[in-house]
Amino acid sequence: MSATQSAGERELAELIVTALNLEGVTPADIDPEAPLFKTGLGLDSIDALELALEISKRYGFQLRSDDENNVRIFSSLRSLAAHIATNRVTA
Amino acid sequence: MTLRVAIEGVSFWASRLPGWDIARAVILGEQAAPEAPSARPSPTLLAPTERRRAPDTVAVALEVAARACEAAGRKPSDLPSVFASTHGDLAISDYMCSTLATTPTLISPIKFHNSVHNAAAGYWSIGTGSLAPYTAISAYEYTFGAGLLEAATQAICEQRPVLYVAFDIESKGALASMAPSRGLLGAALVLTPVSKSEQQRGLILTTESVAECQPTEARSAAAPLVADNALAPCLPFFEILASSNPRTLSLALSRQTALNVQVN
Repeated sequence: MSATQSAGERELAELIVTALNLEGVTPADIDPEAPLFKTGLGLDSIDALELALEISKRYGFQLRSDDENNVRIFSSLRSLAAHIATNRVTA
Repeated sequence: MTLRVAIEGVSFWASRLPGWDIARAVILGEQAAPEAPSARPSPTLLAPTERRRAPDTVAVALEVAARACEAAGRKPSDLPSVFASTHGDLAISDYMCSTLATTPTLISPIKFHNSVHNAAAGYWSIGTGSLAPYTAISAYEYTFGAGLLEAATQAICEQRPVLYVAFDIESKGALASMAPSRGLLGAALVLTPVSKSEQQRGLILTTESVAECQPTEARSAAAPLVADNALAPCLPFFEILASSNPRTLSLALSRQTALNVQVN
């Protein structure tokens, strides 16, 4: 049984599924604590760049490719949603 | 210059002619084309990560490439390939131009990755695990003939079978007003330098300098279904393949160079 998604996590899950055209993945089914990359959703580095672009368009702040905290920020839906909540510029 | 090759496999896919069997039957007047356009083919040979990123160019090119290899009984990874497309992906080119003009730092990495003219050839080599050489070629309105000549030349020079894939998709945005193209159209052949079977159709290709090229025109019921696609000049060739009668056609290689193709 996966942990429950918050509203912000659900919104981000929907953005991930749409932006990356994930086949057979329902946003509500993404475990907020599971890894997004390699295992878990199985995303790769091109997905990370695409996701960073979509997040900056939607939430109005830049995710930098040279941020040393990227491994932690992108580790799960929960950590990425928390980073967005702290840094978002748009409502 | 004369090149002699044989055809081991044929495939064809257009939105209203989804597959060579249907296309051939419509060309021969044996059946009407389906009323509804088919959804784009799914490039099932790709791993899920590549498949979900695959644009229309890749979907249609990989469909016809795989079907031609199947018809030829050839393992896809064994064949060198020639991928020909008039425009590549003009929809993405339009996206790239308009994004660079307005918000240049917001280019989609996936669209950028897919924007190159050899995207379909690249996805094919990844999907089939092929280390054989591939060529991506464009010659604007002369693309189909130029690609056919290139593939036949490689088959003869290398003395091995070659996969030839031609495709064009829908153009969009401002670029579509200068370079219109509608729907999806793809066609592929496996060409071999030596015919192993009496059943195989042989091609004799010759080039000729002419005052003004007059390419053979399409005349079947399939013609209006693909006429708006940039690759429409390929149709007369497939009209001849659909019939079992030998015929000769002319494809344009430039305004003053013809590729004459005798189909036996």
